[in-house]
Amino acid sequence: MKNQENAAGFKIRFKFYKKDEYKYLSHLNIVNIITRALRRAGIKTKYSCGYRPKPKINFSNPTPLGVDSFAEYCDVVILEDIEECEFLSAVNLELVPQMMATRAKKIDIKSASISSDISVCLYCFELDAASSTVNFINEFTESVKNNIKSKSDFSSSIFDMMVKTSNENIIFVKLYGYVKIFKNLNNEIFKFNNFLEFFQNWIKKYNIINISYIKKEEIYIFKDNTLKTPMEII
Amino acid sequence: MEKIKTLKFSELENLLEGIQKPGRYVNHEVGTKSKDISKIADFSSMVFMALIFPDIYEIGMPNLGLPILYEIINKIKYFSAERVFSPWIDFEKKLRDRKVKLFSLENRIFLDCFDVLGFSVQHEMLCTNILNIIDMSGLKIHSKERGGRFPLVCAGGPAVVNPQPLSKFMDFMVIGDGEELTIKILEKVKTYKKSSKGKLWFLKEISKLDGVYVPGLYKFYYFKDGKISDIKPFLKVKKETVKDLNKFDIVLNPVIPNIKPVHDRFAVEIMRGCSRGCRFCQAGIIYRPVRQRNVNSLIENSICGIKNTGYDEISFMSLSTADYKDIGCLLEGVAGFMNLNKISVSLPSLRVDSFNLHLAELIGSGRRTGLTFAPEAGSQRMRDIINKDISEEEIIDCIKVAFKNGWEKIKLYFMIGFPFEEDEDIEQIVLLIKKITNTAKDALPKRNFRRFKINVSINAFCPKPFTPFQWVGQDSTGSLVKKFNYIVKNVPKKFVQISWSNPQASKIESALSKGDSSVGDAIEKAWRKGAKFDNWTDMFSYKIWEEAFKESGLDINFFATREILPDEILPWDIIDIGTSKKFLFNEYEKSRKCSRVQNKI
Ligand code: SF4
Repeated sequence: MKNQENAAGFKIRFKFYKKDEYKYLSHLNIVNIITRALRRAGIKTKYSCGYRPKPKINFSNPTPLGVDSFAEYCDVVILEDIEECEFLSAVNLELVPQMMATRAKKIDIKSASISSDISVCLYCFELDAASSTVNFINEFTESVKNNIKSKSDFSSSIFDMMVKTSNENIIFVKLYGYVKIFKNLNNEIFKFNNFLEFFQNWIKKYNIINISYIKKEEIYIFKDNTLKTPMEII
Repeated sequence: MEKIKTLKFSELENLLEGIQKPGRYVNHEVGTKSKDISKIADFSSMVFMALIFPDIYEIGMPNLGLPILYEIINKIKYFSAERVFSPWIDFEKKLRDRKVKLFSLENRIFLDCFDVLGFSVQHEMLCTNILNIIDMSGLKIHSKERGGRFPLVCAGGPAVVNPQPLSKFMDFMVIGDGEELTIKILEKVKTYKKSSKGKLWFLKEISKLDGVYVPGLYKFYYFKDGKISDIKPFLKVKKETVKDLNKFDIVLNPVIPNIKPVHDRFAVEIMRGCSRGCRFCQAGIIYRPVRQRNVNSLIENSICGIKNTGYDEISFMSLSTADYKDIGCLLEGVAGFMNLNKISVSLPSLRVDSFNLHLAELIGSGRRTGLTFAPEAGSQRMRDIINKDISEEEIIDCIKVAFKNGWEKIKLYFMIGFPFEEDEDIEQIVLLIKKITNTAKDALPKRNFRRFKINVSINAFCPKPFTPFQWVGQDSTGSLVKKFNYIVKNVPKKFVQISWSNPQASKIESALSKGDSSVGDAIEKAWRKGAKFDNWTDMFSYKIWEEAFKESGLDINFFATREILPDEILPWDIIDIGTSKKFLFNEYEKSRKCSRVQNKI
């Protein structure tokens, strides 16, 4: 028993999504739900020492309330070794279809904490455009590039922003926002809610009234000058 | 086929924009058990009941009774229960602005599509919330004006043991334990639903059951001065009692709230009732007789429940935990598992003394939460009057031992405004607090001095129906304030933190708890003037209530502060709570003589 508690344990990183009803739950709620699900699944978590021991669980950055997320990550230190797929099915048995784990991977016990590592977050928007003529799209794309990316209040918090269209008059916007300050880049943290308010107004110029689907698609870590997902890095 | 109307998720999403804590209004928590309505072919052979807790989600979810009924109802294949909580004011406004009726949590069924709406009324200050919910369901608040056969609107819980104040609004009311009675009623609802009989037929049918009060079947007559002259027919409704708690397992797979409730833990009822007989205490009478759960199954089920829910805290609930005869055995039985799994154990109403201090030590949580004492009164004389069996010596001894062993927090509960109270009784509260402070300081190692705090909570005494003090008039607000100020001025401020309940709110609570059906008019007026969440200090407005009583032609003092004469017919005389009026009066007489009876009743 004692030995087990003192042992370093194993670290598992898992990815999960939260959507529909569960997107209305705050980060703190999600932390509680996952922690309890792990306990129900019988996964023995390592606890911190001290007066009020806390399970060693670390989550990626909070997602704004009301946004579907397909890139929530959690690192947990466990006492007994377990196969990744076994871990995944045990946890998912304790969750609901609105929130499930999609991948799990064992990582080095000494690896940096996920929350401190994340550099960039990718949000996707779908815009219902009145037209998708080549002219319109070109104009819109240029404007995004010249106005939002380089001249708006948000410029220094946006790592990249891309626009794509489909035949059904839908414009897909991918926005990579910073979630970490880099001294050499002189950047700022991307503030999602402020941006959304600004963006909702801004698109009116282009007769777009509706943003139909907002989601957080992935989070990235800077490594060797490229963006890597938390699963790729390990 | 009847159709049940529901709110679509996309519609909910529109409503939730800009709403605080939207998690309150979304479903799919782990452990929900309502029927999947997409799979129901024939709604006419099903009974749908909304279990309504008229306060917000975070407060309603930890309630012990709701999950029991939820479980029992949903176990039966042709019944389905769904939960409803009060929407917070921002969401209410949104719903009203958009003309959307209130809906249940699980399937988002609009409340007016349910067969039964059942309110759990835990205290009197929820009355306005109840009216608000009925209104938000698109229904008329008065029972008489609700024409259709459904939904039936009913209420149960400790605050309806005097059913009169809410009687205008309810089709029927349930007195006592709900476990068996709810099913009996729902079976009758099923028959009623299949038939083409009228509501009155149904109400007469269920009025034959013990524990069911149908206000519409009674007529109250009054004297000119407002006192009751007669009730017809004078057929008492007998409180329903579950004889053996062990017949119903504790809920092993409760709904686990997604957003953090006020108590976030696995709660287990170990015993119902309390026989200590404190003369001010309503719970002590209405939950009689004392019934204990079997300790072995409790141990087994506690461990099982923790494994099922993943909670990191378990709480053993009862009115007076030290009186549970196997408490030591229970704690020893679970301690190993709980410690190993870092589960904290709490005993919210353990009356700690130097004899059972080891129990608190056993679960290890005591030091963190501190020692709690409820002497209620400062003087031994007053403790004799209220029949509170706790002595100064006992408290002091316990503190000496506990503080030598590393405890350093104390919480004390007092009440002011008791009958026969004199200045000296109030002075004695201050003296007792001082004595406790000094004892604690002496027993405490010097270096811990700075951290030392005593929390003192002072409540205004509210005379309640079915207690020996039901005849007593509440102390006036002015006198209560004076007494409180005296205490605040004279306790050692450095170590003592005092909190107290608003005496004006207590006065309204008294009037609502002892009122007759005319008080229903004041409740309605107050609600129409915007009163809601009256139990929230920042929401309560005495002005609204004052006006509401006045405009209803009623005097608050008639219900709250007036001493009731022994031969008066009381609004709650129509209920047989299991303890006779004569017994209660004898107890009142004994208190007058400061004589104490222990563990007798
Ligand atoms: S100990 Fe006294 S106050 Fe507490 S529940 Fe029992 S009778 Fe009521």
